[in-house]
Amino acid sequence: MDSLSLFCTGALLAGGLYWFVCVLGPAEQKGKRATDLSGGSISAEKVQDNYKQYWSFFRRPKEIEKAEKVPDFVDTFYNLVTDIYEWGWGQSFHFSPSIPGKSHRDATRLHEEMAVDLIQAKPGDRVLDVGCGVGGPMRAIAAHSRANVVGITINEYQVNRARLHNKKAGLDSLCEVVCGNFLSMPFPDNSFDGAYSIEATCHAPKLEEVYAEIFRVLKPGALYVSYEWVTTDKYRADDPEHVEVIQGIERGDALPGLRSYSDIAETARKVGFVVVKERDLAKPPAQPWWSRLKMGRIAYWRNHIVVTVLAALGIAPKGTVDVHEMLFKTADYLTRGGDSGIFSPMHMILCRKPLDTDDHAQT
Amino acid sequence: MRLLTHNMLSSNIKGVVNGFPLRIEAEKVVEKTVEMNGDFLKKMFEKVDWKAFVDASRAMGYNELPEEADPSMLDSDEFLNNFHHALLELHLEEGALVCPETGRRFPVTKGIPNMLLHEDEV
Repeated sequence: MDSLSLFCTGALLAGGLYWFVCVLGPAEQKGKRATDLSGGSISAEKVQDNYKQYWSFFRRPKEIEKAEKVPDFVDTFYNLVTDIYEWGWGQSFHFSPSIPGKSHRDATRLHEEMAVDLIQAKPGDRVLDVGCGVGGPMRAIAAHSRANVVGITINEYQVNRARLHNKKAGLDSLCEVVCGNFLSMPFPDNSFDGAYSIEATCHAPKLEEVYAEIFRVLKPGALYVSYEWVTTDKYRADDPEHVEVIQGIERGDALPGLRSYSDIAETARKVGFVVVKERDLAKPPAQPWWSRLKMGRIAYWRNHIVVTVLAALGIAPKGTVDVHEMLFKTADYLTRGGDSGIFSPMHMILCRKPLDTDDHAQT
Repeated sequence: MRLLTHNMLSSNIKGVVNGFPLRIEAEKVVEKTVEMNGDFLKKMFEKVDWKAFVDASRAMGYNELPEEADPSMLDSDEFLNNFHHALLELHLEEGALVCPETGRRFPVTKGIPNMLLHEDEV
């Protein structure tokens, strides 16, 4: 081959490789880059240790002895995965029903905007995002409703990321983030006009505790919507394969025990909410939420190679490979959960805090 | 952290009866211009705890707000501008929010209040 065709072939290969890794790779073009993967607030040399501690703590998710340690490990989990999530998935750390003809970003946004419509958020309302992550939903919701959104997350790294994104999106006049624990929220009683939580309350050891806090800080008459991670009516606790899948999901997602779909409304009522509406948004005619995971198998392998190379070069912290592999395996369990119909990440419940104690009797 | 948010934060330490409002210790205050929306301000006026808001604005170095306010003041452009400025354009970047009963300091770094409690405060 003469030097010109050699050069052209080389350039084509280099261009192809660049496209495969850097263009096809990241979830967003101007978002997190693979070369910026970190362990959140955990320093690079401690990432692997933290990952090992996390993995052994969640060995038996339903039998965690020290429930009070759960928030610390949820915090650790999000230090480990936030950058990888942002890089490979996007700024909204949750699932959405896939919509034929629409991109993942659009489907995600529509799923988030539906939460707004359910709680009837209006401009000037003060709305609480319980477990706001890096704020993907917060930004969509603030933009769609023009309400003022305050987000709370336990992870300091995420708060910083959320703030950065809010500024970049020009939404920092409508959005604010607070670092705190949703089991003990730093807000006075009866302060918010509305609240929502998107796939976040699953991290609470007792759902009742977080629901009680949300109930407390809502104004009477205000609405709360939650998209819950649950086992469905198809789940059989005596089926070892079902148990394996659910445990795999719990372990890889920092969940101290998935709730059954029937527990949700019961818990809401227990803390004083009136249940307005309840529906599993994953059920047909909705298109599968897990197809995004399935399609991403090539992406996972490519990302695995990228992360391994970066870790070998010392650019990504050692332990990033382990974390990425954990997420890869968890994605498999999630897919199986979706395919078998035993698991749903979007059991929607819409609740209202009664205007007064008689409201309950009136509905 | 804007004063709009400060107006919603309270100390949730175990045993504290009234953790609102948190006292502000301002080390670094930054001003960021934001477009004014009259309707938004009128809605917010009804929701804001005025005394806590005025005290907080003074702690941030802004002294233009009156001690007491009523809705009729919203007709005045000057009042509306000052209200808008204090509510949305003053940011506490570095400092602390102090529990009124225990004196415990919740740090504010890079504009973010860290309200996480220690084990013995829950």
